[in-house]
Amino acid sequence: MRVLVCVKQVRALGDEVEFTADGTDVDPDYLDAALNEWDSYATEEALCVREAHGGEVVAVTCGPKESEAALRRCLAMGADRALRVDGVESHDPLCVARALAEVVREESPDLVLCGVQSSDSVQAATGTALAGLAGLPHVAVVTKLELGTGSARVHRELEGGLLDVVDVDLPALLTIQTGINQPRYANLRAIKQAEQVEIAVRQAGDTAAGSRVRRMFVPSRGDAAEMLGGDPAEVARRIAEIVRERVA
Amino acid sequence: MARNPKHDILFEPIQIGPKTMKNRFYQIPHCNGFGSEKPLSQAYFRATKAEGGYAAVSTEYCSISPESDDTHRMSARLWDDEDIKNLSLMCDMLHEYDCLSAAELWYGGPHAPCMESRCVPRGPSQIPSDFEYLTYAIEADKDDIRHLQNLYVEAAKRARSAGFDIVYVYGSHSYLPQQFLTPFYNKRTDEYGGSFENRARFWRETIEQVKEAVGDDCAIAVRMSTDMFLGEAGTQLKRDCLPFVELVDHLVDVWDINLSGIAEWGEDATPSRFYAEGRALPWQAAVKEISKKPVLGVGRWTNPDAMSDAIREGKLDIIATCRPSTSDPFLPKKIEEGRLDDIRECIGCNVCISRWEIGGPPLICTQNATAGEEYRRAWHPERYTPAKNADNDVLVVGAGPAGMECAMVLGKRGMRRVHLVDANDDMGGTMRWIPQLPGLGEWARVVNYRKIQLDKLENVEFIASTSLSAKEVAEYGAEIVVVATGSYWATDGLNGASHDTIQGADASLPWQATPDQLMGEGKTLDGERILVFDNDGYFMGVSVAEMFASAGKKVTLMTPLGNVAPYMHFTLEAPNMHRRLHSLGVDIVTYHLPSRFEEGAVVATHVYDEHGHEKTWEADGVVLVSQRRSNDSLYRALKDEIGLDGLKAEGVDALYRIGDCEAPRLIADAVFSGHRLAREIDSPDPSIPLPFRRERRVVDPAFVKAERGWYAEQLAGAV
Repeated sequence: MRVLVCVKQVRALGDEVEFTADGTDVDPDYLDAALNEWDSYATEEALCVREAHGGEVVAVTCGPKESEAALRRCLAMGADRALRVDGVESHDPLCVARALAEVVREESPDLVLCGVQSSDSVQAATGTALAGLAGLPHVAVVTKLELGTGSARVHRELEGGLLDVVDVDLPALLTIQTGINQPRYANLRAIKQAEQVEIAVRQAGDTAAGSRVRRMFVPSRGDAAEMLGGDPAEVARRIAEIVRERVA
Repeated sequence: MARNPKHDILFEPIQIGPKTMKNRFYQIPHCNGFGSEKPLSQAYFRATKAEGGYAAVSTEYCSISPESDDTHRMSARLWDDEDIKNLSLMCDMLHEYDCLSAAELWYGGPHAPCMESRCVPRGPSQIPSDFEYLTYAIEADKDDIRHLQNLYVEAAKRARSAGFDIVYVYGSHSYLPQQFLTPFYNKRTDEYGGSFENRARFWRETIEQVKEAVGDDCAIAVRMSTDMFLGEAGTQLKRDCLPFVELVDHLVDVWDINLSGIAEWGEDATPSRFYAEGRALPWQAAVKEISKKPVLGVGRWTNPDAMSDAIREGKLDIIATCRPSTSDPFLPKKIEEGRLDDIRECIGCNVCISRWEIGGPPLICTQNATAGEEYRRAWHPERYTPAKNADNDVLVVGAGPAGMECAMVLGKRGMRRVHLVDANDDMGGTMRWIPQLPGLGEWARVVNYRKIQLDKLENVEFIASTSLSAKEVAEYGAEIVVVATGSYWATDGLNGASHDTIQGADASLPWQATPDQLMGEGKTLDGERILVFDNDGYFMGVSVAEMFASAGKKVTLMTPLGNVAPYMHFTLEAPNMHRRLHSLGVDIVTYHLPSRFEEGAVVATHVYDEHGHEKTWEADGVVLVSQRRSNDSLYRALKDEIGLDGLKAEGVDALYRIGDCEAPRLIADAVFSGHRLAREIDSPDPSIPLPFRRERRVVDPAFVKAERGWYAEQLAGAV
């Protein structure tokens, strides 16, 4: 069983934000980097599959050299191999998915796991785009995985607390929701060992054009908000008034 | 990050007499245990606040004469020129930061026991102190009054010589000038007693004389308590204080307005258990309304919105802080820089004050382990030196106060990686549930501040819900292992009174429980009658008793001690705690030690009953607050079973323990323990604290020769 986990080194905002000179991105000095939270659950799920069924877990990411930190975290958790795809300029999910699709074709995994979304871009598109490009069936927002022979039964989270139970043939791609498991921690020894692992790098082919960021800015504050002060009774009275005004 | 414009008002300069404060932050006079006898500790302690942005910083109460000697407690002193030298160091260091220095001139009257000087204090009437045992004053005649006023004048001149910018004529906390103003202390029938004008005469004349002597050079501050909560006998806002403001407003440059007398000064230095931020504001606003001079006042201010509102709404001009400035000397700077989540907020536990009340030792702070250590350990509250062994990885096991503090300081000292691991799903250890005890909500700030700081440190990782065995610790991959696994309440009644367990005590039984079980594990006790056995003597026993009593249970609080929660006397929580337990109908049984627990009954004897007569209390449930024990099984397994050589073979070079895992103690001391280890992690042997600078006189031959000469001279001609 070969499980390919697609992960992302996400960027987290601190207290302050400054933009780059060209105004298309946040100044990297104001960003912290980390393994995307959803991807840590996907990695854990992949490790659980390996522990139950044998095989290997391969972690892959698209990004520059710095993004190898995310891969090393997967290795420290227990992934067997890691692979970085270099040369993808755009953050567009389609471009990333095209680059990852090449890896899927090369590695021929039995299962591809992605996080539902990344915490920085929050588009929830890469996983399903990759499934389409790689010609794999997919199930999104998975909260439970039971692996059978040649197929898997998965629970899919729907809105309103509903659950969809789906059987899917393998190979397949699943996007993994947080809470599906408890990601294991990596102890210091594993982190140190992961630092020594050679990470394979492959150059992305033509990922074609995608969307570009034209401008990034802090939206101006609207003037429609009215802050209500006073004790709860006063606030409640004012809310009732506003509701009456608007309804009338 | 920039300052929030709504806090701009806190940074407007203000004129007080001949001096200008650069902003509205003022460190109120408060004790630190250093006085004028430990000048370097004193100067660095105060100057750290000046560095942190305070515009004016005061001494603690500063005695004007050996007649007002508060030994065993530590005050500053301006008795002679040598004291000028010692305190001028503080003034000079404050001035380096463009910060004004204030001296709080103090004469205690009957509250000054004079245990070192063996002088006798003078006071308005001869009634012994309501604060100090066996202490009487001379009932001052008019010559004594002239003498007393002259003491103020001479001390004010010495203060000016030392470099002080602000000189107090201090009355609050029931000290001499306010004793004259207050019928509770003043029973005189001459022109210094009786009517308001007469009771105000001593203070008015003294202010006049001090103003005359130093008023061109120094701002004159008057600190007045506007309610002593003593009914008609005490100082009253409308009857005494507002008329006094009108009487002397033209002489005063700044009013320092607070509450309480000395016997219950927890009404001023309010514990968070009983009072919220800004408690004295209505009284301060009343003075502000009639005075033309700036008014400053305390209120355990930590919230810049509340501070700004107090000024904007015309209730105060200057934000005075005592405890919040010790908890975070950089409070003003952090507000100025918009770094509000870096503010180390005071939790209002008053362990700082407990040290003064105990008499002598330097103050400590639960939130700020560096408080009092500025000079003697060269610990800066905001700056950390990179560790010389920063190329090591550290595993801290246990994320209670000690573990969190240690991991935070190690992170700030740049250790390569710090892993903080805890069995629970969140940080805090016992401090996850202690703030859920009645009235202790603000204590959660101990956890919250550290959580925010730890989250910002990229080299620190928190690993939740993970119990590590000794083997897992050994194989974790850390070069340095710190065990911070805390302590637990004894389940067998072991206690410091009998130094033994108690027959029948067994917290695994359904009708017995420890605080850990009740608060941390959700255990409940059935029945209506709960007996809390407390030999801890601090907050736990009374808090648990209050919790059950508030839930409608019939509670008996039994202790072998002579008083319930005696340590709360030092934290100023005792009076209101007693009131609360009394109003909840808690049955207090002191001097009784249980000899056995039986289902439905507790059998106890009076500790001084030589015949051991037994008495029985019916109880459906028993809470054991007898003592704590270190939770050191992991440490012992690492040291004794795997052994230091075994650890070395796994790459662990050093093993330490901190906090309650070492020995149970105050939260402040647990935090200190974690901080201390991290500050000294690169010392030759971090398990042994480095020596600290001691301010003491070290004799040298020339000094000894001179002193022996002086002694001989004194005895010349003696037969």
